[in-house]
Amino acid sequence: MSNGKLSSRTILVVGGGIAGISATVEAAEAGYEVVLVESSPTLGGRVAQLNRYFPKLCQPTCGLEINYQRIKKNRAIKVYTMTSVGKVEGETGNFTVSLNTRPRFVKANCTACGDCAGAAESEIDNPFNYGMDKTKAAYLPHAMAFPLRYVIDPSVIGSPEAEKIKASCTVDAVDLEDKEGSFEIGVGAIIWATGWQPYGAEKITQYGYGEVADVINNVEMERLAAMNGPTAGRIVRPSDGKEAKRVAFIQCAGSRDEKHLPYCSRICCLGSLKHAAYLREQYADAEIDIYYIDIRAHDKLEGFYQKLKNDPQVNFIKSKPGSIVRGESGDPTVKGENTITREIYANSYDLVVLATGMEPSARGEGSSVNLQRDEYGFVVPCVFEPDGMIAAGVASGPLDVSMSVQSATAAALRAIQAIAQGEGK
Amino acid sequence: MTDQNGIGVYLCSGCAIGQSIDVDALSGIAASEFKVPICKTHECLCGDEAVAMIAEDVASGGVEKPVIAACSPRVMTDRFQFDGAQVIRANMREQVVWCHPPGDEDTQMLANDQLRMAITRATKSNAPEPWKEGEFSDKILVVGGGYVGLSAALEASRAGTDVLLVERSDQLGGNVRRWSKVLPDSPPYGTPRDNPVPGLIAAVEGDARISVMTDAIVAQTSGQPGQFKVEITNGGSTSEEMVGAIVLATGWRPYDPNKLGHLGYGASPDVVTNVELEEMLAAGKVAKKNVAFIQCAGSRDPDHLPYCSSVCCGVSIKHALQLIEADPDVMAYVIFQELRTPGVAEDLYRAAQDAGVIFMKGDVKSVGADLTVVVDDALLGEEVPLQGLDMVVLATGMVPNSTNIDLPTRELGEDEEMPPLLRSDIDTTAPITVAGYMGEEPAAVEKREETMPEGGPLLNLKYHQGPHLPMLADGFPDSHFICFPYESRRTGIYPCGPLRRPMDMGEAGLDAAGAVLKAIQTIRLVRDGASVHPRSGDLSYPKIGLEPCTKCRRCTIECPFGAIDETDKDYPVVNPARCRRCGTCMGACPVRTISFDNYSIDMLTSMAKSCEIPDEFDEKPRVLILACENDAYPALDMAGLSRRNYSAFVRIIPVNCLGSVSALNVSDALSVGYDGIILMGCKSGDNYQCHFVKGSAMAQERAANIEETLASMMLEKERVEAMEVEISDAERVGQLIDDFVATIDEIGFNPFKGF
Amino acid sequence: MTAHLPETKRKYDLTFARWVSRNVHGGDKLNMCMQCGVCSGSCPLGEQMDYGPRRLFMMIRAGMKDEVMKSDTIWNCVACYRSEVRCPRGVPVTHILDSLSVVAVREGYAEAKNAETTRFAKAFWWSAKKFGLTDERLVTALYYFSGGIGEGIRKGMANQKIALRMIGKKRMHVGMPRKIKRRGELKKILAKAVEIENRNDAAAGEEVKS
Repeated sequence: MSNGKLSSRTILVVGGGIAGISATVEAAEAGYEVVLVESSPTLGGRVAQLNRYFPKLCQPTCGLEINYQRIKKNRAIKVYTMTSVGKVEGETGNFTVSLNTRPRFVKANCTACGDCAGAAESEIDNPFNYGMDKTKAAYLPHAMAFPLRYVIDPSVIGSPEAEKIKASCTVDAVDLEDKEGSFEIGVGAIIWATGWQPYGAEKITQYGYGEVADVINNVEMERLAAMNGPTAGRIVRPSDGKEAKRVAFIQCAGSRDEKHLPYCSRICCLGSLKHAAYLREQYADAEIDIYYIDIRAHDKLEGFYQKLKNDPQVNFIKSKPGSIVRGESGDPTVKGENTITREIYANSYDLVVLATGMEPSARGEGSSVNLQRDEYGFVVPCVFEPDGMIAAGVASGPLDVSMSVQSATAAALRAIQAIAQGEGK
Repeated sequence: MTDQNGIGVYLCSGCAIGQSIDVDALSGIAASEFKVPICKTHECLCGDEAVAMIAEDVASGGVEKPVIAACSPRVMTDRFQFDGAQVIRANMREQVVWCHPPGDEDTQMLANDQLRMAITRATKSNAPEPWKEGEFSDKILVVGGGYVGLSAALEASRAGTDVLLVERSDQLGGNVRRWSKVLPDSPPYGTPRDNPVPGLIAAVEGDARISVMTDAIVAQTSGQPGQFKVEITNGGSTSEEMVGAIVLATGWRPYDPNKLGHLGYGASPDVVTNVELEEMLAAGKVAKKNVAFIQCAGSRDPDHLPYCSSVCCGVSIKHALQLIEADPDVMAYVIFQELRTPGVAEDLYRAAQDAGVIFMKGDVKSVGADLTVVVDDALLGEEVPLQGLDMVVLATGMVPNSTNIDLPTRELGEDEEMPPLLRSDIDTTAPITVAGYMGEEPAAVEKREETMPEGGPLLNLKYHQGPHLPMLADGFPDSHFICFPYESRRTGIYPCGPLRRPMDMGEAGLDAAGAVLKAIQTIRLVRDGASVHPRSGDLSYPKIGLEPCTKCRRCTIECPFGAIDETDKDYPVVNPARCRRCGTCMGACPVRTISFDNYSIDMLTSMAKSCEIPDEFDEKPRVLILACENDAYPALDMAGLSRRNYSAFVRIIPVNCLGSVSALNVSDALSVGYDGIILMGCKSGDNYQCHFVKGSAMAQERAANIEETLASMMLEKERVEAMEVEISDAERVGQLIDDFVATIDEIGFNPFKGF
Repeated sequence: MTAHLPETKRKYDLTFARWVSRNVHGGDKLNMCMQCGVCSGSCPLGEQMDYGPRRLFMMIRAGMKDEVMKSDTIWNCVACYRSEVRCPRGVPVTHILDSLSVVAVREGYAEAKNAETTRFAKAFWWSAKKFGLTDERLVTALYYFSGGIGEGIRKGMANQKIALRMIGKKRMHVGMPRKIKRRGELKKILAKAVEIENRNDAAAGEEVKS
């Protein structure tokens, strides 16, 4: 090293979903300091809200558990939840980043005993279950939350209830005076792993989401099937709690559509196949119709598609339905044209699931930063250009979990390269 | 009498522990039964004050092994980290007071035993001495000089690492070298981009950190990560190189079109494959006006390649666009079954439509010598003969180069058994399973036979498990894990690119970078004597006492990672840097001569024995649970978190992996009076979730073998059960325990109790 | 419109598809159709159509000129625009069907078919051009009797009650036909429209060729 200024060997990872977590542990285990910031109260992101992964049908918490253990044991990693990125200044190898924190109202010495939730009376929509049920205003985001630490919703702050919550804590972990804050760190590279959000199904007006009862989207289906979901894993209709045995899946609900998301979201076909397997497990007499344009089970995932195709109770209908309406019996009715038989159909179901796509959620976070984005809002991946701004996971394009981890591992290397370049190696 | 020196017991009375159990009684046990020199109680052990207190005890040199009797070892890990100390945790919260009634005699007995087991663990555990013998190399070997290999070499170089790039042909560039255009991986996504490979070749050749050997193959690989010894033959000569890790980028080859006679290959020179067209386009000599592309030629076909080759839809579209760009009058037809342009590649599909390419969904019935393609047109609803074509392109798929096809297939020796872990470990024909559900049985498909893969080994590994890489179904090497795509069963060897699964160049380039990161990371970790994922940072490793060794080879054979070699006298010898610390060898050893500094059969048995076993007149059965620390143990914690009460008669010991549990642990426990034993692990079989590959499967096998032992001891086979649980099974795990205890109640107490 | 329909030799020879792309309003967007079926599935008259737009579009690609030109689909479109609004690929379904019907009239397919919608359209245009507005009574009568005297009487009798109620509510004019003022202006406007259309067609044709 010559006369070059020593720049930080620290990597900032923005976003604590599967991509951010993976980038963090991979970079840290390669010998770098990593700061991981997540804007919500817990790590895990969207995958923590999934019941199982395709095609192995294993539980996401299994891999998260391993990664959390890796984080806990590694002193090179610092995690800040309820923290987001403000201003970024400087250049590759030497960034100054201001981080903004939101109040959690619960200090780090929280033991997750749950006494505060017992003391709380008011309830809020449970974000973990996409608002399909309620949780107390003092809550643990979910049983596998990391950090395992309660949160108090700002809505009760200043009320007598808040004082009651505070009084219930035996280790004095409740801090009602907690405020928004800000601090600065110096880093050599930044990995943007800001992930995605489900496309707003209500924007596809003809599919009746929010209007017709028992039309839900695929992320809600995932919660319905989960043991730690609003129905303890029973797949039932939201309207009346009736078992959902005859179920339709509408693929490309918003994706591959110039009026919504022009790109293919990649995961929705496999997602619906997985949901069909959930239903078949739960109800031996389930009848499932999957309405699709093309089933995009690429590479080895094809095997998963073939297995479900072999199931006589899972039907594939090549058709993009025209509309979903409330039928005479009150059941959602799917109308359209079967493009193979050319029949016009109107089929009623217990439940209709819209396989809505993914859109990049990075538009808010890091908006002050001049990230290069494509027309869909995905951060354009830099190839062979050691650049301190690196995208990982779905922030860089519609990817499945395995591809997100691949992309995150690659991002960790790019960050190391940027630092190496900064150090003038 | 064990050594109590250096042990300090710290009891927490917070989180309702103090209200539920008698902490002073615990303190008494530590002092009277174990004569522990230091025993302190605090009402909030994770608080700053108490943590400072423990840190001071450690710093003063008095305490080397703090035993923290508080919450689960899965939480507050960072709080209870003390430099130079081995922290042992006794789970008093999640697995005692949160799932058993307060003030109850059985709850107290459980807490007492929980502490006894932890102190016993401390006495049996030594600070691990990491293995760091010999010279280490930081260099990365990249095998394969195609797009992925070139990318990997440059990625590594840019991270400051030296690279040796070995290519079997006489020049770099691989399949893509001569192509004119490639699929786009950055905007605009609908426009094929120029071939980056020539530029990469120049960059590699001009890079001082990268040395290149062409016409070279890896003749043999021995050693271990950080110290791989690689013999490379180049022409007539063989050289030896030492490398730290290996990135495999041997890529793919097109599916043999000669097997596609039914699609007209061979019937006319104008029936070509997509790879042949690629070369024609590069040479600029395609003067065809009416071209049909037949998708899935050999892919998604049980008689050929069962998987989807991922890129062929995009590639045919690219070809059509190239043809139309050269001549706008070209009529191009793409005959597909499912059009797959996932993600932003949808732009490519739209670009082709906009350019006038005609897409037809349907099966191809025949391809005539006059190039008439008969299509069962699904959208038109009739069979259509496509006439007047002057070229038919078969979009053939990708076959992974997981072997060196230029080398002869390795024949099995006469007495040699099929090496384990090849191909058949995942059955693609098996019905789908979600927890309990088995879907409909598919039409009878013959299960793939276990065969030696075609071609010679890529690295010719000098591993007991054979010279080949372990492969999954369809011949792709690891990884089998969704969240850990680089978790290969050969530590330090990372397959990437289309070798791993069919993928396009954009993804393959990223995959190369990912594999390089893993290679760099592994080299760094093994230099410190630390394990790689999933027990990242574990400094212990299996040590084998050779004196009692009977040379039974079970450790060598059963190691899922091929970490154990044999000396010329047939003694096992561990390659610590290959080892992932599951302890399967330890569980396999019939004479208990394999142990880790901080983990052993003796330790597990001593922990089990340290518990108080009431005699049968107390009517308190005891059930020992050996729980996998990755899934089963957290599931038990989750049961506590949701306050799911279950029988307090169980004693739970976390294990690295169920593979590390020996049949001897089971018989030892039965002999001291346990009434039943549960081996609780992850899902086995196809879609296995065990990160040590076969821990659960091994436990089931051992449990079955134990049945015989039980029979000889006149014990019921129900007393030992291997169970599979998932991490979210908080409710189910409690039910499983209660059901098991009920069974034990029915069959009665262990007659050996009290002997 | 100038260009006449091309000959098609065999399925998928693309002459017809390319002709439609160049000569039918919105036809250039037809390439973008990915056969998802949302158009046919959204059509309120979907069950009354012989093919529906989705299949009709595939038939255009396949060069099935006669079947396309003779199909009911192009006449039964009620221009509700649902398919056009929902099409994920921005294909102007309504415009294409309408424009195809114009071609069908010009090329004699409509005459040959003698479809009711054609006859109604003729009656409608006769009134619109002659009076500058539609005279319900005359248009109806002309349409009823276009299928022959017998059919005219039958249809007239069947709809008598409706007609009387419409008259009662002043929804149908009786007596001398009403006319707009300055019909000469209307004539000029229509002539201009024809001129523009021809010019656009010619330009579109050239654009594709170049």
